[in-house]
Parts: sequence; C-alpha cells; structure tokens
Amino acid sequence: MGIPSAPIITKAFKDLAILNAAKRGMPHERICFTQHPVWGKTPDELKVYVNGDDPVNNKPFMKEVVDALTVPLSDDEKKSGMVSVSVGPPTFTDTADNLQDFYLNNGYTDFLPIILPTEERVDAMMKGTSHHPDEVVGKMAAGAYPPWSYTVRHVAASAVMAGCRPEYFPLLLAVASTGIASLFSSTNSFAFAMIVNGPIRDKLEFNYGIGALGPFAQANAAIGRAWTIMSKNLGNGGIPGDTYLGSVGNNLNYNNVVIAENEEASPWDPFHVQRGFKKEENVVSLFRGLGVVPGQVARGSSVNTAPMFDQQMSDLFSTFTGFFGALIIADPLVAVRLHEQGYDTKDKLIAWLYKNTTQTVKDYKSRNYSYLFEYPQALQGVEPFATWYKLPDDAVIPHFPRPSSFNIVVTGGQTNAYPQGANMSYGVSVSIDKWA
Amino acid sequence: MATKSFADLAKSNASKRGMPHIRACFTPHPVWGKTAEQLMAYVEGDDPVSGKPLMKEIIDGLTVPLTAEDTKTGMMDVNVGPPIYGPDTLDNLQKHFLDNGMTDFLPIILPTPEKVDAMLKGTSHQPDEVVGKMAAGAYAAWTFNVRQVAVNAVMAGCEPEYFPILLAVASSGMAALGSSTSSFAYSMVINGPIRDRLNMNYTIGAMGPFAQPNAAIGRAWTLIGKNLGNGGIPGDTYMGSQGNNTNYNNIVIAENEKDSLWKPYHVQKGFKPEDNVVSLFAGEDIRQGHGARRAGVLENPMFDDQISDIFRTLTSQFDALVICDPLTIKRLVEQGYDTKEKLTEWLWKNTTRTARDYRDSAFVYTFHYPRALRGEEPYKTWYNCPEDTQIPYWPKSDNIVLVCAGGQTNPFFQVGNLTYRTSVSIDKWM
Amino acid sequence: MKRRNLLSLLGLAPALLAGARTQAQPTDKTPKSGKSGAAPSGAQFTALNPKGSPPPVKLIPMAPRLDTVHGKTIYLVDTGFMSGGVLLQQMQIWFQKNYPDVTTIFRKKAGAYMEDDPPLWKEIKANGNAAIMAIGH
Repeated sequence: MGIPSAPIITKAFKDLAILNAAKRGMPHERICFTQHPVWGKTPDELKVYVNGDDPVNNKPFMKEVVDALTVPLSDDEKKSGMVSVSVGPPTFTDTADNLQDFYLNNGYTDFLPIILPTEERVDAMMKGTSHHPDEVVGKMAAGAYPPWSYTVRHVAASAVMAGCRPEYFPLLLAVASTGIASLFSSTNSFAFAMIVNGPIRDKLEFNYGIGALGPFAQANAAIGRAWTIMSKNLGNGGIPGDTYLGSVGNNLNYNNVVIAENEEASPWDPFHVQRGFKKEENVVSLFRGLGVVPGQVARGSSVNTAPMFDQQMSDLFSTFTGFFGALIIADPLVAVRLHEQGYDTKDKLIAWLYKNTTQTVKDYKSRNYSYLFEYPQALQGVEPFATWYKLPDDAVIPHFPRPSSFNIVVTGGQTNAYPQGANMSYGVSVSIDKWA
Repeated sequence: MATKSFADLAKSNASKRGMPHIRACFTPHPVWGKTAEQLMAYVEGDDPVSGKPLMKEIIDGLTVPLTAEDTKTGMMDVNVGPPIYGPDTLDNLQKHFLDNGMTDFLPIILPTPEKVDAMLKGTSHQPDEVVGKMAAGAYAAWTFNVRQVAVNAVMAGCEPEYFPILLAVASSGMAALGSSTSSFAYSMVINGPIRDRLNMNYTIGAMGPFAQPNAAIGRAWTLIGKNLGNGGIPGDTYMGSQGNNTNYNNIVIAENEKDSLWKPYHVQKGFKPEDNVVSLFAGEDIRQGHGARRAGVLENPMFDDQISDIFRTLTSQFDALVICDPLTIKRLVEQGYDTKEKLTEWLWKNTTRTARDYRDSAFVYTFHYPRALRGEEPYKTWYNCPEDTQIPYWPKSDNIVLVCAGGQTNPFFQVGNLTYRTSVSIDKWM
Repeated sequence: MKRRNLLSLLGLAPALLAGARTQAQPTDKTPKSGKSGAAPSGAQFTALNPKGSPPPVKLIPMAPRLDTVHGKTIYLVDTGFMSGGVLLQQMQIWFQKNYPDVTTIFRKKAGAYMEDDPPLWKEIKANGNAAIMAIGH
C-alpha cells in the first residue's frame, strides 16, 4: 500500500508474528503487543491495555504505536532484495545413538524413534518409484506462510524416518504431491485422515479388518506417521509458537487417521469409485477436520434388536460443526445392515442423512464456527448461509450445508456392528499409480 | 458355541485356560439383529468353520467319547521365545521385532543390554523385582519385572528419567489395549514436579506430538500392553472391530498446573502438590469442543453450557474427562466456578435426559438394568420413574473430571468419554 | 526469545538480513553427545538432512514514516478477531484525548480474518496517511 502501518497483536503470538513477518519479507516490522487475551475483555479492561505498557517491549503502548508510524526508517528497514533461507548442511555424521538424539532435538521427528535416513536407505526407498530423485514433488505450508518445496529425495528421507518400506513410497509421494500437511498452524488443533483404495491395499498389507484404525499393521502405522513427519520437514510445520498454534493439541496428529477401505466386505461402491476412479486404480483421498468419535454411543443405539444406524448417525452429528463435513467410518456389518434397510448406495444414505440431520437456526448460530467462518460469508451473499442467517431462530435447517458434506467409507473386522464418525471434510483424491 | 468371528479367540482362550481341545462349535456371524427365521437357518445349516452340520456337531460334541488328549492333566508351559536376539544388523533386528508382533509396527530403539541397563538406572528398584500382572482382556494375566518394563521403555524411545512413570503405569496392571469388540481408548494424567523435570509439554499442542516424554511414555503404555500383557493380537487378545487411532500413543495429559486457577487433579485425589502421580483412565474416545451449541455471545462465551452440550453425545457407560485450556478456566472462574467442584456439580445437575432415552440405551440396558433389579440406587429409581422425568447422565458429580492443559492461544476444551480407574505414586518407583 | 534468536531459527543470520548471500550457520545444527546413555563409541553413520527447500525471502522495504501524526488521518482496522474492535475503539478514545487533531477512522475488514480486502486498502491509500491493524486476539 505504501502507507505506514502498525500491526497490533497480543503477546501470546509474539514469536509467530516476528517469524511470520520475517518469512514474508519484513523482518523489522514494527509490531506492537498487548496483554493476552483481548477476546472477552470489557471496554474498561481494554482501556487499561491501551493506557498501559506493551508487555513484550516494556514501552508505553500508545507511544510505541505512534513511534511505529513516525520514527524514521533505519537502513535495514529500507532494504530490498532476495534473501535465501538455509536449512543447514545436507548430511550429518555421528554414531547411531547420537544421530537419534540429534534428529529429535532438531525438530525433525515426532519425538519418537526413527529409522535414520542414511544414503543407502534413502536410495532403497527411492527404488520404490520410477520418478527421479531430484524431481520436484510439490509445495507445502502447514499454515499461512510461504510454502516450502521438496523433491522425491526429500520425501524419501521422511519416509525412511517414519519406518516405511519402499513399496509404500508411491503412496507417500502422492500424499506429498497434494501439498496438504497433517499439522496445521491454527489455534484449533485440526486432525487429518486419508482413505486408501485399490489393489494396493492388499499389496502393502494394509489392515482393514479387526483394529483397522489402530496400531496393527506396518502400512497403516508408518504411512500415517510419515505424513506428520513430512509435514514437519517438507512443509516446516509443527513448530510450536511459530508454525503450530494449536492451544490444546490433537492426539490424532501422531499417526493421522489412516483408513484402508474394506472394499471386499462392503455392499457399496468404494470411495474412489464414487470420485470417478476405476475400481482397479490405486487412490489416496485426504480429509481435514476435528476428530473421530464412536457412533455406538449416540442416543438411538437402542435396546432394539434392529439397530437403526441411520438414526444413530444423525444423532451423533448433533455436536459436529457443519463447517467441517461428516465422514462416516462404517464397519462392514453396519454397511450390510443399512443396505438391507434399503440404502443400496452410499448416496441414498447421504441423501437421507442430509435431509434428516437438522438443527434449529438458533442452535446453528450458537456455534462458534458459524459466527467466525460462515457469518462473513453470509454477509457476502454466499448460500446457504445468507439464507440461514435471515431465518427466524426456530426455523429448522440442515445441519450440514450440502449433501457433499457427507462421505462414507467402510472398514473394520465385523466383530461388532459399530460405526465411527469423523467431523472432517473431504479435500482431494490423488492417483498413487502416477507415482509408481 | 460362538459365532465364527470368534473362532480364533475361542480356541486360543480355551487353550490358555487349560482346555486346548475344547469342543467349540460356530455359527455364522452375526447373531445380533437376526430374525427368528434367519437364526433357524443357522441352526439347520453348517458350522462355517468346520463345514459340518451344526446340530450334528453339537450332539457329537456331547456324546463322542473323550480321547486321551482330552483327559490330560498337569501344567503346560507357554513359550515366549529366547531371551535375547542377535547379534545381527540394525535393520534385521528392527524387522525381527516387527515381524514377531513385539512392536506397534513403527521403528523402535533396539533394546540392547547397554540401553536396558541405562534405563534400569532410572529406578532404585531391582531388575528382578516383580512389578505387576497384566491381561488386556479376560484371560490369565502375565507377570513382569522391572527389567521387562525397561526393555519396552527403551523400545518406545523413553529416557531413563521417564522410567518411574512407566513402572507406576505398569504396576497398575492396566493395559492400553482392551480385548473388547468396542475399540477402547486410554488416557493418563500426570501431576507433580516431575512434569517440569522431564520437560513434559502442557502448553501449545499439549495433546499432540511435540515433546519426547509425552510421545514416548504414551507409546510405551501400548507396547507394555502388547508384550507384557500379551494384548493387541487381532482375533485373539484384541477384538476391536474398527480399532481406535488413539491407541498408538494413548492420550497423555501432563496437567498445566501453573496456569490453572484450579486445584491439580492429584490434589483432588488426596495427594500432596509435591507428589508425583499418574492417574489412569479408560473409555471410548476424546473429542473437541468446537461443535458445541450455546457458545453464547462470542464476546462472553458460556463454557459451562458448551461442555454440557458435548456431554449429551457421550455414553454414560463411561464418565467424562474434560481438558480445559487455561483461558477456558479463566473464563469459567469469571463466571463463578472458582473450584473444579463447583463446575462439576453444575454440569452433573444440568446434563440430563429423559428416563425414556436412558432406558432405551443398549449399554444402560446391559449394565444398569441388572443393578436396578437388585434394588441398587440410583438405577432402581431411574428405571421406575415416569418416562418423561429428566434424570442426570451420571449417578454423581464425581463421574465428571476436569484437568487443565493447553497453551492459551485460544479458550478451547476437549472432552474424553473416559472413566477414572486409579492413581499411582510415581515417587514410589523412583 | 529475542528477535535475533528467533530469526536465527529461520536461518536468517544478521549477515543475510543485510542482503549478502551467505550460507547461514544455524544454531544447534551440529550433533552433540547424545543423552541416550550408551557410550558414544561405535560405528559412524551418515544420514541425510530431511528438511525441504524453504523459499527465498523477498525483502519488502517498509513504507516511509510520517514526520508526525499531528493533523493526519489514521485508519483503525478490525480484522475480525474477537473483541479487536473494542480494543480499537479504546485506541480511538485515546487519540481523541491525547491527539485531538488526529482523525481516526474505524473500519471492519470484510471477510474472515485471513482474507484480503482490496477495496478497503484502496480507500486507506486514497484517504488515509497511516493504518493501525488489530490482528488478534
């Protein structure tokens, strides 16, 4: 703009503000800090902030603001030009034990033991693809900062560290190529999931039976873990206070929710076929949201001998935020039961759920995310929010904005008819075969 | 007789309990939800495991004379393999542990004698001292000593200074993998000065992968369940139909005592503030509070209402563990809840449902109805009052636990559908 | 953490900030003795640095400052973080009391907090001399 400006932020985001300004080209930005939080404070309390000192720089706040706009620029502040950012030397040499500690202390890991990415192991991993080691795979930022780029070799190093086998490599390249990180900078602590479809599930021996979401197979465990390790190293994500601000954090970030669809036991089309791929194609699909909850605990998991899963699911979603979608993770027994009830396609169930999962306008408006993310859209005329915000409080509206908010995947070992529900939105599907 | 999905489990369990040749018969799966006609077809059909006609198999089972094997008595040793592997390459050893089901399928620190010895220095207890017994389900428990816990602690990536915590957890006998067809979740809350000594993370990203003790201690709990409690063998000691993603590292919560305006959890349980304590929980899951209704005016959020709203989707088969960011607690204290007890009292009174909904719930029917019949309160009242009566979700306010964790970047909270099981002194294991 | 230390985490050493293209010496990048408990003997291994490639930073020269705020027009921009508007209103009152010849104009940026608002930027450029933006929160 060419207008001198003074950004104000609360002290809780001091590191983030300084680092972000630097990344974007203004390492000397004159940032002024207030006490934290501002949210929820009364005008009188904020008057004290304004009349008091900046708690970071210990100067009278308003003087600092005025100075920020008036004190002449230093030579450094006038600088232009390109500055390269270094990540350190290309290799490290030491004993295996020291290297484990070093990688951990340098923030390259998820703080758990890794397989050290020696030249031999990285070379072996790269044999899992026909793509060239120096080929650029993609760009990733785990938040609102300029993305980092990475090659096949970079992805291979993280894949080795996570404990992956070379045959997993095309899948990881596919995930990395999306640029979607499994750690996000937001204060909200998001969770991430992937669905794997196609014959590769059996080739890599994914578990989609008993314990499908848990630690019972190398592919499920290592591939999920690799996504987080890649997010840290390739996208520079997960640095608390800098690229990760999640206030409470999310347990699912360790391994992410890896779902290999139980295509064989499902009465429905697999997820990738619904997205337009052929059954024999190998595809990975990514999701983002808040977490996974078990469905059998919802009201409506009735005593009856004929459990009404459609009603259970609808009730489960009552405290989901419609800002994210609903990903139903159904055990094959649940899918078969629903199929018997007449839902012979996933779309039929989705249509029912969209129509019958409702909320009052009052309840809708009373959710934080509605106000933060959808109300601004309503003001700009985006539907359905624009209409919803005009209706009376007791009007009944769908819980989710559109049928495409819903997705269904089938996995599990059929020991019991349980579904789980993830408050997550579908992101993208990518061909794994492309990276073979 | 069981359904075919449990064939492996049935045979394995019978074996463990001393009757390896038990004459078990199997029906198709499931039985739950089938009509009388469908079940008659099961009865008239074949055992899908043996291929034999079911009823003939049952009658044969009861009448065909026993063999010499069937009538054997005596003790049978169970072999877990040699005490040590190698020498071999690092890669081969990693593979060996993984292939033999001794890991969570992720890289481990190989438990060399040197590393195990170093871990053992983290406690004053003797390597051969028995720590406890554990079964991750309804089978005979395995026993283990300090050295065996040390091996698993090394594998998980723990430092020796974490070892007393692992010993305390292991001594409880509680595994972090259950055998149920429900896929349970497990959590531990850590209190006391040890949190800072170990540099545990209880601020930004408290629940996520941002510090070695949080990550490795949680992971070790799963490995202990697998190796010391023989848990986590799908189809045998683990039957969770879909599994639970939290089992990888379990839900490790170091309470943020310094930023909390409330008493820390261990002090509520009667420990001194300077005691180091680990408290264990088990249940269904953990979920975020972001979808709660009645968030109130954004400038003045009503967290009591929001937490109560999230409670309505929990099962009362398990309790509630609420993890509040310090900012959330500040706001609640401003609202008048200056103690944890004041809030749990309010939440308990104000989280209600109709008696009809209560009685309709499958879990309540299975677990509470028998107690109601025996005259036990409050279940007896809850099963006899009029359908429309509003009754609390839980019998008492103690069923609701509050802890503090988080980095104050925003006033958030999470809710675990988890029940408190026990608290163990970590100091005892130093 | 001091600004210099923070920036060194990014690999931005003071020399770089001065525009010289040199290789940074990031802190803590060389392996030290481990705390794993095993004696630091044994075979040496060489492992790859797993980090990807950060983009180069294009320095943005800061806009020239005002010689004084007296008589100037300052926009106060609320980006949508909770209570940011209330804070800015307090600042407006402060300016009225302490710099009565400063004109303050309060504006709420359109869209969610991460979205740009080009019409507003245009308005500020046309009508204003400076801006104060409340980021959060």
